[in-house]
Amino acid sequence: MSINLYQTGVSGLQSAQQQLGTTGHNIANVNTEGYTRQRAEQATVAGNANSGNFIGAGTYVQDITRLYDQFSYKEQLLNKSNLSHADSISTDLNQLNQIMSFSNEAIGGSIDRFYQAANGIADNPSDIGLRNIALSQAEVLATDFNSLNDNLDQLEKSTNGEIEQIANKISQISLDLAKVNEQILDNKNLNQTGQPNDLLDKRDQLVSQLGEYTSVNTIEDPNGVMTVMIGNGATLVAGTTALTVSVQAGDPDPLQTKLQLNSHNGSVALDGAKLGGAIAAKIEYRDEHVAKARSELNRLAMSMSQTLNQTQAQGLDLNAQQGLDIFTDINSTGLQNSRVLASSKNSGSVQAGIKITDISLVPTHEFSVKYDGSDYIMTNEFNGSKTTLAESPLGSGVYPSDFGFEFSVNSGTPKVNDSFTLRPTENSAALMHVTLNDPKGIAASSAISVAANDNNVSNGAVNIVNVTNPEIARAFTEGSNAKLTVDVYESVPGTFEYRVYDAANPPPAPSLANGSFAAGASAVIDMPPLPAIAAFQIEIAGLPVGQGLFAREKFTILDVFGSGNASNASIMATTQEKQILAGGKQTFNQALATATADVGSNASSAEFVVDTAQALYTQAYNRNQSKSGVNLDEEAANLLKYQQAYQASSQIISVANTIFDTLLAATR
Amino acid sequence: MRVSTAQFYIQSGLKMSNQQSSVNEQVNHISSGKRVITAKDDAVAYGTLAGYKNDLANIDKYQRNITQAENHNSLVDTTLSNAEGMINELKDLMLQANNGGYTANDLAAIGQQASQNLQQILGIANTQDQSGSYVFAGYQIDDAPFALQADNSVNYRGDNGVRELQIAKNVTIATNQSGEQVFEKVPNATGDFSATYNNNSSGIAVERAVVADASSYNSTANPADFTFEFSTATDLSITDGAGNVTNIADYVPGQTIAFNGIEVKLSGTPLPGDNFSLTPEQNVGVFDTIKSAIDWINTKASGKEDPQVQVDFNQILNQLDDSINHLTSSRAESGINLQVIDRQKSNHLDTELYLTSGKSSIEDLDFAKAISAFEQSKIALQAAQQTFTQVQGLSLFNYI
Repeated sequence: MSINLYQTGVSGLQSAQQQLGTTGHNIANVNTEGYTRQRAEQATVAGNANSGNFIGAGTYVQDITRLYDQFSYKEQLLNKSNLSHADSISTDLNQLNQIMSFSNEAIGGSIDRFYQAANGIADNPSDIGLRNIALSQAEVLATDFNSLNDNLDQLEKSTNGEIEQIANKISQISLDLAKVNEQILDNKNLNQTGQPNDLLDKRDQLVSQLGEYTSVNTIEDPNGVMTVMIGNGATLVAGTTALTVSVQAGDPDPLQTKLQLNSHNGSVALDGAKLGGAIAAKIEYRDEHVAKARSELNRLAMSMSQTLNQTQAQGLDLNAQQGLDIFTDINSTGLQNSRVLASSKNSGSVQAGIKITDISLVPTHEFSVKYDGSDYIMTNEFNGSKTTLAESPLGSGVYPSDFGFEFSVNSGTPKVNDSFTLRPTENSAALMHVTLNDPKGIAASSAISVAANDNNVSNGAVNIVNVTNPEIARAFTEGSNAKLTVDVYESVPGTFEYRVYDAANPPPAPSLANGSFAAGASAVIDMPPLPAIAAFQIEIAGLPVGQGLFAREKFTILDVFGSGNASNASIMATTQEKQILAGGKQTFNQALATATADVGSNASSAEFVVDTAQALYTQAYNRNQSKSGVNLDEEAANLLKYQQAYQASSQIISVANTIFDTLLAATR
Repeated sequence: MRVSTAQFYIQSGLKMSNQQSSVNEQVNHISSGKRVITAKDDAVAYGTLAGYKNDLANIDKYQRNITQAENHNSLVDTTLSNAEGMINELKDLMLQANNGGYTANDLAAIGQQASQNLQQILGIANTQDQSGSYVFAGYQIDDAPFALQADNSVNYRGDNGVRELQIAKNVTIATNQSGEQVFEKVPNATGDFSATYNNNSSGIAVERAVVADASSYNSTANPADFTFEFSTATDLSITDGAGNVTNIADYVPGQTIAFNGIEVKLSGTPLPGDNFSLTPEQNVGVFDTIKSAIDWINTKASGKEDPQVQVDFNQILNQLDDSINHLTSSRAESGINLQVIDRQKSNHLDTELYLTSGKSSIEDLDFAKAISAFEQSKIALQAAQQTFTQVQGLSLFNYI
């Protein structure tokens, strides 16, 4: 009987010790990340039957459990992935926003200053100093484009670095998880009832870490071994087998790196953008936001180069030569070819390029082209629509599109399923350079202009359009046809008859061109006429009624080259206000601002998403902590409680001892 | 709800760090004075702002152009007003020379003075602006446009180029007038033809010779020149360049002679044998008129007196008047330009004001609002910090 009391006391002592140990463990781990508070589950020892009664025989600790709720834990895990996705993309967009906003100031300022100089030339075309300023401003402008592009390159590269680091982290965690699984399996075999709580905590902690990088799903089998899946269900850890994630160069663009999952059986590609967590955020940032910003920038650089180069080509420089390109030609062979990226899997030998034909139509997104055995099928990556490219003219290898560019097959023959990625604006900002060195080379002067005869009476007008070769145009109106004259009158009501001739050799001698047009329409005449190649066009518009057969409306086309002629410089200066981009809706500065505002609005909405994600995560974390977190006050109370239990149990032994002594004394 | 100790620390930390970052952001805005620093601060406003900045930059450009255009047009205006004065002087000299009381020496002196006059007008026509460009040379600004020849005639070597500057989105303004337009394109006082008198014993003069009906004036079938010959005082034959003859009988002095779409009116009463021819000439250059004037004064000085001298005198005087009128209308053109410029200038000032205030209302910080928000954030941060220090001291362990 008293033996029992001894045992009961000792069992109380032991239990209290274990309780104190567990409480101490909890207190010691108050700041351990991922720690789940533990509790010693105490139970009574089944009583001994004694003369019909069950007498209690003390207590024992049947299990030390984790206070763990897998649902709240998984909720926290899911929210953690979402938060880290939102947080990562917001941080990155914030950086992009800063870069774009400050570069916008720089580039916008350079555009303004370049146009100020161009405008100065329009007032004083023979001033070499002004011309020099314009050229150096052009240089600054090109450098600004280059350096913003470098910045974006740098962003892409550092993002790639981060992706690689995350992939390594994931692989490392995968290996660790497999190891922990193994240990758990071993420990389980040793002890049938108790759980290896701290190992489980460690595993959960690893899964939490993994959750920062990618979305995670876990399944635990009856033996406590966990299968870990990432993204949409790709198995990363299967029991004790760990798979690794590695980064491969992208195809066709090596800088758009891709992820793959490796096991000893081989590797499979992972769709990084669908993995969730930070890694998906990085990939989305690189492939969408940085790519879009870069493409907008490229398009702006391209349209500025093209617009200014075209204006140059219409005019004559101070040496009476056709204006040379100010900036790198946007359709140089190198640039054309760099816009097409051929897949490395192609078996055909096609070498292709993209030639820009109408800058206002060029979009900023990518296209892909696939050869199906007979045709090239182009897919618009923006909306997925497919079109079959038609060769025009037949046999030329040139395939025009509706987007301001043409796909041209330069050499080689395609094989079925050959594919190409088209980036119509690629490299334009990176390769924008000033190619004009001579300040005299700025084509401020126009070549030819129209002078209306003083005797003209009606409101018809003759204009010079499409000057493709100002030197020939000038030579044509000065040398061979010094008095190139257009006369026109209303021969039949509603019909205007025109003639183009040299006034030194007037009709009835054969005229250079003649014809008629209806009221409301206009006539456009190539000059010089066929078989020569046209250098400019004469457009007759309006209602040049005239005063009859003998008194037609007369217009003389003159050579107007001169060092004081600034007509072309004026045209150049007004291109700043011209709405050229986005289908003729945006000026250069507007396009720049739109691209920047785009990034800005993405960055600010990403920040809202972070706030929401943070709130959701905090909620889940709180819920999880309310179950599993250590509270020091609670543990302090427990400490006292179990200390007292320990003391009381000691008293039981003391009482048992006294009883025993009393018994011994009685028998002495 | 149960709160774990770690949770308390982590969340207090998070909240304080959030409040710190909001204080920091507000400091950023207050110290820059801008509400929108990067596009993220307000993407919509950022786009609008770019529009405002664009427009302001354009106005800046227009205003620079306006200053230039104003200078150029004022220069043209003053220069031409000088030229007008010179021609007026020349006209006075003509009137003096026509005065019967002068000796041959006096007339020679007047001729001298007229030649000097020519030099001065030539100087005006070859005016250079502050950058050394010839004002009246059209596009050929590097060379003097008017060159004096040995016979007092003047050649124009410029062209009719007109430079224009943009002074508003859709308004361009000419900054020069070509020498051809100003000095060469003076309308012929007699109309579309000039007369050369081959034999003029009566002193008849062509008052007006114009193409009255352009649709029936066929210069191919009936080319110029037209030679008029009075066989009697009332019978007139007109021979064109191709030898076609038109006969007009019963000519009455003062009657309008009409043929081939041309109308000619003569003054005076013709005598048999009077013969003159008409050459198409719509414009008579200022310098041509001045040369005629000098030549006339010299003829007068040589003592020549016949009816033709008086005819020429009237004709030259008329042409000088027309030259003055033409210069005045050229000046008026500059004047109109200056008016347009003035109007645009005040337009731009208004627009600039409105754009600047629009830009500022979007971009600039409302300091009162910002400072009170800043104070609020500051107090919130302080409160969070104080609460943290107080709450974190509460532990049961303190009492064991």
